[in-house]
Amino acid sequence: MATESQPSRSKNPIKRGLAWMENLSEEAYAYLLLIPAFLVLAVIAFWPLWRTFKLSLFEDELFGAAKVGDFVGLQNYIDVITNQNELLTRPLIDLTGGTPFFRQALLVTIAFAVISVVFETVIGFGQAYIMAREYRGRRWVRVAIILPWAIPIVIQGMLFYLLFNPSVGFLSGPLQSIGVFGANPLTDSIDAFIITTVADIWKTSAFMALLILAGMQSIDKSLYDVAEVAGASPWQRFRHITLPLILPALLVAMLFRTIDAMRVYGIIEASGAGCGTVPSLSCLVVDTMFGSTQAYASAATVAFITAIIIGVAITVYLVALKFSSGGTHQ
Amino acid sequence: MSQPPQPETASIDDETSGPFTNWVDSAIANPKKVYRAMFATVAIFFLFTTLFPLYWLTMIAFSDGSRVSEGVGLLPTGFDPSSFIQIFQQVPFHLYMFNSLVFATLTTIFVLLIASLAGYAFGRLQFRGKRPMMLAVLVISFFPPAAFFIPLFQLFNQQISFLGITPPELYSTPGGVVIPLSAVFLPLAIFILTTFYGQIPDGLEDAARIEGTTRLGALFRVIVPLSAPGVATAGILTFIAVYNEFFFSFLMTGAAAQDWAPIVDGIISYRSQFQVRYDLMAAASIVAVLPVATLVVIAQEKIVSGLTSGALKE
Repeated sequence: MATESQPSRSKNPIKRGLAWMENLSEEAYAYLLLIPAFLVLAVIAFWPLWRTFKLSLFEDELFGAAKVGDFVGLQNYIDVITNQNELLTRPLIDLTGGTPFFRQALLVTIAFAVISVVFETVIGFGQAYIMAREYRGRRWVRVAIILPWAIPIVIQGMLFYLLFNPSVGFLSGPLQSIGVFGANPLTDSIDAFIITTVADIWKTSAFMALLILAGMQSIDKSLYDVAEVAGASPWQRFRHITLPLILPALLVAMLFRTIDAMRVYGIIEASGAGCGTVPSLSCLVVDTMFGSTQAYASAATVAFITAIIIGVAITVYLVALKFSSGGTHQ
Repeated sequence: MSQPPQPETASIDDETSGPFTNWVDSAIANPKKVYRAMFATVAIFFLFTTLFPLYWLTMIAFSDGSRVSEGVGLLPTGFDPSSFIQIFQQVPFHLYMFNSLVFATLTTIFVLLIASLAGYAFGRLQFRGKRPMMLAVLVISFFPPAAFFIPLFQLFNQQISFLGITPPELYSTPGGVVIPLSAVFLPLAIFILTTFYGQIPDGLEDAARIEGTTRLGALFRVIVPLSAPGVATAGILTFIAVYNEFFFSFLMTGAAAQDWAPIVDGIISYRSQFQVRYDLMAAASIVAVLPVATLVVIAQEKIVSGLTSGALKE
């Protein structure tokens, strides 16, 4: 960090480093600040991904010690998409009667992501409003709303498994009698899908709420005073002050929730529904990698296809983010 | 607006109409009352939906372990509070909690520090390659954690090397969990901090710089405090997510508390081959939530307006 060429009055290396920093151009300073982040990401993320990607270009060798066989290029990708890969773990029940299995996983993943993110955004907004107002006991209301986010996935899964378990819980009885659920909800794909989605919304709405709340709290309060004097209704204040100013934070929240929802795995396993009943794309990756086959190359292929699908979905957000940040940046 | 506030249920002026009609009349006269009532209704609804499953979890914990399978309603089936003691007798559950707390604390500090530097660069500085670099950070989040797992597992067990360097054996150490989780949670923190740092007006930073604050000083003394809601939120989200994380922290450590196993291993240990002790699992998870709840109580004080009205007036 310290450079010899820079004349400096202080012998202290920290002070010399700071002085050296002062003289950097804006661009050089930006790159310097990004070094730690990219160093960590290079070793822990980019390098493993590169190795996994290489793995996906080889044939699976199930009986050898090496686990991988000949180089086959993109053949694994073609096999997975056209549903000809025999090594992928299949669900117990055929969801859609004959639809290729990979597309079933895709369907489950997209449906889960869309439904959970829509509900979490709406509920998150409501919860953020409740947490933002000032009243006695607000601290405890905030804690209560954030608490579900602090429940480990294993317990979240157990909780919803027990709630809908016909002998322990009391929710499946009434829901069966009004015809919503079948006899054993956790083994029926549609019912189990609903349960995992509700469980996810219950836990992660708090994530949305916290980010929206942080966005609300960053708004200059004097704007509301001005609006009140000008006679704006609460809806107008929301529409013209709150919404545009929290939009960047809201988009970041929705972006990461969408990514996370499209990688759903933990709650499916933990709720007892299991990947056989509610197959998601991540389920496919984990089952193929750690299941009985240990087909690393096929698992790596599905992991990359998952990432590509998420990438396509996310492009929509990135375009929106670009517009919103273009609006607020001076 | 001109009418004085009226009692909610009864009106003295109008004896013929019912309490509901009166309430509606006074609501029309005083619309703030409607907003207050709506607010209270929504607040109670959310509190019920978030807290009820947790209440039921507590009832399971207080139930008699052998009778949980009979069904648990709004009250425990049988009453046996000893599960809160048994969880510590069967396994050293406090050690599992300690391990998870260490992971969460270290990761949060590490992530907030690195993401602050990166968030400042992305949010407030102009430089070439900014968008591709932000995209590169984001792309990491697209991959299922399993995609990183095998190379890292081999690296931490010294089976392979990175660029010719073999790190010390990190498997079953805090490093083996904190390092991968830092990378997993870094993208979210960078994006949150980029957003919040980018919204601070330039004038505030310029003023500090003119008074002689260094570049780094301006970041940590001006930008970070003014973005307190964003920083606190990124911190809370990271801390809680790491504390509860189960993929890396489960697979990168042994199953025993001495091998730096996280809470998840402790909870799973109450589920043996022959019986599942739901009451113990419920009690353990309630105990495990307490440190996080405490943290939230403290940290949420920081999620209040950083930009107070007046910060912008010079």
